[in-house]
Amino acid sequence: MAAAQPRPQATRASGGGAASAMEREARAGGFRKETVDRLLRLHFRDGRTRVNGDAQLLMAEMLKVFVRAEAAARAARQAHAEDLEKVDVEHVEKVLPQLLLDF
Amino acid sequence: MAAAQPRPSALGGKRSRAAEAGAMEAAGGEERFLLAQRLKAAVHYTVGCLCEEVAEERDVQFSKQTIAAITEITFRQCETFAKDLEVFARHAKRSTVTIEDVKLLARRSSSLLRYITEKSEELALSNMEQKEKKKKSNAVKERRTGEHEAAVTESEDFNMA
Repeated sequence: MAAAQPRPQATRASGGGAASAMEREARAGGFRKETVDRLLRLHFRDGRTRVNGDAQLLMAEMLKVFVRAEAAARAARQAHAEDLEKVDVEHVEKVLPQLLLDF
Repeated sequence: MAAAQPRPSALGGKRSRAAEAGAMEAAGGEERFLLAQRLKAAVHYTVGCLCEEVAEERDVQFSKQTIAAITEITFRQCETFAKDLEVFARHAKRSTVTIEDVKLLARRSSSLLRYITEKSEELALSNMEQKEKKKKSNAVKERRTGEHEAAVTESEDFNMA
């Protein structure tokens, strides 16, 4: 099982009509839907619970938003507010409560 | 992907079966732990990529500990998400999580909900487009006689409608 996804260098296959626009976007720095599926199934109480393909894609988007637009961006904003260029764990700690409440 | 495959017990007797079950659980536990580690590593990689993007955009730097911290938080949040999704699906008497369940998950923040709804509509659209393509190519394959023209015009009309 490939733990790390290959760094995407936007090798667009013919016309890209087969892959959905969202899958392409996900490859450009995002979560693979297989990883998302395994992540979720790791925590399901019932072994029979599955996630359908579209929901996997959507969850990948959600996680991407969680990391990129919320966790990372908020921490960066916090560091910026403190006039710092380096984002450190304390910045993450400061934004964590609101982050979890909002999700 | 199953955590532990139940093996038919060659030995008879309740006690040996129980012992085997206990041993299997322990093995399953370790397997599960390793799986979690591998998944966390995958998450770590993606979190690193995403932070790199944000770093470029905002002209900042993320320390390694920060990336590790965000990875940990994301990983834990997945547990919450998974449990919620499972509960939502079960509430709807389903065993498969669908887009509707994911949308429910996003309910707390209106901007997030809007974003997720948009994405789900994009998905639905691209799914429809793929179905259309399949229909067209099937229609072309099946009708190789003069009816071919009629089939193509039909699907074109559908698109225009």
